[in-house]
Amino acid sequence: MLSVARPLKLAIFYGVLTLAAAAFILPYVLTAFASLKPIDEIFSQPAWRLPSSLYLHNYANALNNYGFLKALENTILVTCALTVGQVTFGILAAYAFARMRFPGRDGLFWVYLLTLMIPNAVTLIPLFTIMRYAHLLNTYWAIFLPYALGVPYSIFLMRQFFLSIPQQLLDAARIDGCSELGVLRRVMLPLSRPVIVTATLIAFVFGWNNFLWPLIVTNSTNKYVLTIAIAEVAGGYGTRWDVVLTGGMIALIPLLILFAVFQRQIIRSVQLTGSVK
Amino acid sequence: MDHVLTKASLGKGPPPGGDGPGQGAYTACPGAGHRSSPFRRGLLAWVRAFPFLAPSLFGVSVFLLLPVILIFVLSLLQWNLLSPPKFVGFQNFATIFEQDGAGHSLLVTAYYVLLAIPLQTVLSLGMAVMLNRKLPGMGVYRVLFVVPFMATPVALAVVWNWIFDPKFGFANQLIGYFGIPAQNWLGSYKLAMPVLAAVQIWQWVGYNMLFFLAGLQGIPPELLESAAIDGAGQWQRFRRVTVPLLRPTMLFVLVTTVIGSFQVFDTVYVLTDGGPGTSTQVLNLSIYQTAFTDFRIGEASAMSVVLFVVVLIFTFIQFTYFRRRTVYEYV
Repeated sequence: MLSVARPLKLAIFYGVLTLAAAAFILPYVLTAFASLKPIDEIFSQPAWRLPSSLYLHNYANALNNYGFLKALENTILVTCALTVGQVTFGILAAYAFARMRFPGRDGLFWVYLLTLMIPNAVTLIPLFTIMRYAHLLNTYWAIFLPYALGVPYSIFLMRQFFLSIPQQLLDAARIDGCSELGVLRRVMLPLSRPVIVTATLIAFVFGWNNFLWPLIVTNSTNKYVLTIAIAEVAGGYGTRWDVVLTGGMIALIPLLILFAVFQRQIIRSVQLTGSVK
Repeated sequence: MDHVLTKASLGKGPPPGGDGPGQGAYTACPGAGHRSSPFRRGLLAWVRAFPFLAPSLFGVSVFLLLPVILIFVLSLLQWNLLSPPKFVGFQNFATIFEQDGAGHSLLVTAYYVLLAIPLQTVLSLGMAVMLNRKLPGMGVYRVLFVVPFMATPVALAVVWNWIFDPKFGFANQLIGYFGIPAQNWLGSYKLAMPVLAAVQIWQWVGYNMLFFLAGLQGIPPELLESAAIDGAGQWQRFRRVTVPLLRPTMLFVLVTTVIGSFQVFDTVYVLTDGGPGTSTQVLNLSIYQTAFTDFRIGEASAMSVVLFVVVLIFTFIQFTYFRRRTVYEYV
């Protein structure tokens, strides 16, 4: 299609790409380096210098003395609860909208779609007052509950996929005596693995990265999630770059592993969300 | 608008009629021989569907619809969370513009969006065009470009905070290498906002590139070939064939990124906290501070309503586009 021109042009092409790739990777590399250096080395050496030895003290220090272990536990707990809830209840709703018949179904689905227009930032103050009224402030529940009961966006995504599963397969299972839940579990779910992986990843990354909402509803250190713990240390007296950057790495490493494992799926699912939205 | 939405997104639903009572059929033909059954069947259908819907119905009504009603109610109150709320009408809307600098915050946010979005869109399109060539290694570059978008914004913000540190940061080490004097990046009125915009671009450009890449791959190669046969050069083909065909993708990327950027919080909170002065005081930061450090819920809610209106305008643009595309498809 596009003619591959002279070698010089090709070299420039790859040069530009490599420079861009370096710009995307460099912050991670520098941070990983810094997290493996003693604090005086962080201050005295250029950031791109390799750590002189494998110095893991920063990680032990951040985890044990700066509350990052508790924050990591909290983040895992809250994010898993959010993900399991959002995906499970999302699957149920998506199935009802895609493959069950009941009066008012499409009208109700339209209401769900309309809520996609509500910006997250606008709901936070009312959500805070609701959580306060329910006496849930400063609990784990407050952090994940608003996003764990089925989120319209993920319901929409899964419904669209469920619609592509041939109706005959479901009917066959029904004739064989499957209950509605049985049809969902034995026929629909095994065929819908790609979209369920996508919904799970979206929910997990959202929960893991969430900052403003936990900032609003938690105020005691034993309920802090990683993002709050990082901001807390970063905003504290005289910045301890060793602790702050190591804390950052503690939050980033699980996501980078997730990305490495699922990168094909993630890239495909981003393009999928672009086409359905 | 509702008609369009139904067509665009509900079009693939199961065909009406069939065995069960379709939602239209069950009220539309009452004289079909089973006078009492439609209502009972409908009720039965609801009884069967309800367990599937109940959790999300609760979630959507309590955590999405109720907050929308509440935000308007709260914006009319004077309330510090402790003493009982007092109804003050639209006074909060006057207060936030006269005393709390909501207009300034709105302008700052718009400045942020204007700095970040056009450049980000052009860069992501350019990267997509480069990676769309059939050359070895493109997949690897694609992965490397995309890495930032999943990463925790707060964690990245502290990384950038360190990189732009005036004394120990990599940014000054780097420009010092080229003989440029050290800058006080985030403490400078001139540079703080461009740095924030650059961080936003860095994090999201690869993500948006994916949409352009998908759009580019959807362009039929015959169109470009026939343009080439007609004597169009590389730039002309890009300008006259590729760009017009990418317009839907472009609009999708623009609208979603603008809506997202108007709500920016995490990076600003960590990197500048609105400073220096109020030069990076974006609207969402003002809302947070007014509500949760000043405990003036009414004023903060009024600001949220303003933000809501701004975002709705851009959402409306997106829906207008959907209508146009639907019409296009049906013509």
